[in-house]
Amino acid sequence: MTENQKKILEMLAEKKMSVDDAYRLLNVIDSAESGQESTHKAETAVKAKPKYLRVTVLPDPANEHSQNVDRVNVRVPMSLIRAGIKLTSLIPPEARDKVNGALREKGIDFDVRNVKPEDIEELVEALSDLEVDVVSSKGEKVKVFVE
Amino acid sequence: MKRPPVLMRVKIKGGDRGFGLWLPLFLLLPLALVVFIILSPLILIAVIVLWPSGWGKRALLVLQAALEIFCSMRGLKVAVQNRQQYVFISVV
Repeated sequence: MTENQKKILEMLAEKKMSVDDAYRLLNVIDSAESGQESTHKAETAVKAKPKYLRVTVLPDPANEHSQNVDRVNVRVPMSLIRAGIKLTSLIPPEARDKVNGALREKGIDFDVRNVKPEDIEELVEALSDLEVDVVSSKGEKVKVFVE
Repeated sequence: MKRPPVLMRVKIKGGDRGFGLWLPLFLLLPLALVVFIILSPLILIAVIVLWPSGWGKRALLVLQAALEIFCSMRGLKVAVQNRQQYVFISVV
């Protein structure tokens, strides 16, 4: 309960205002505060909008100086991913069937024709929750995340 | 439309050999624009000829998508290395 709400209830208890007035004022305060909250949430969402997809592969610290260690550090802008997904709409129909067939062979039942522009934003936003952390048998650490 | 990238850095090292390159994309863009303007009549004719088959529209969309991809490359960074080889690509 906020200070303003307390004051209104105190004034109501002291019979300085009617029940209707108190109800109206409480509603106004409620809506004003929820408005502030939603603005704050929107600001947080804007701040948290991912900019890059990162892929890193780091060697096991114990084998760091051995000959066969690979280090990978890739940073892909989300806008590039967005533009890449948009390209799927330009795939010719004949090629789309081939792509779908190849995906089905790999066990992925996905139709690239179903990717619509309005889905792209949702798909990219969903990536913000992505985090893959794998440690291989050789001790290599593979990380896929967004920042 | 986003701002196009201005510089591209490429560094490749394999064994004792290697090279580093700074590509000034901001200098290449006006050149590409001139080439595009010179070729635009041919592109226009090709688009008109191919329009009934549906490929003309697709060609135009591909041009637009290519430009969008190029402009989205700002911030791309790829670094892969092992003991002998090193590949580094960065677009600024």
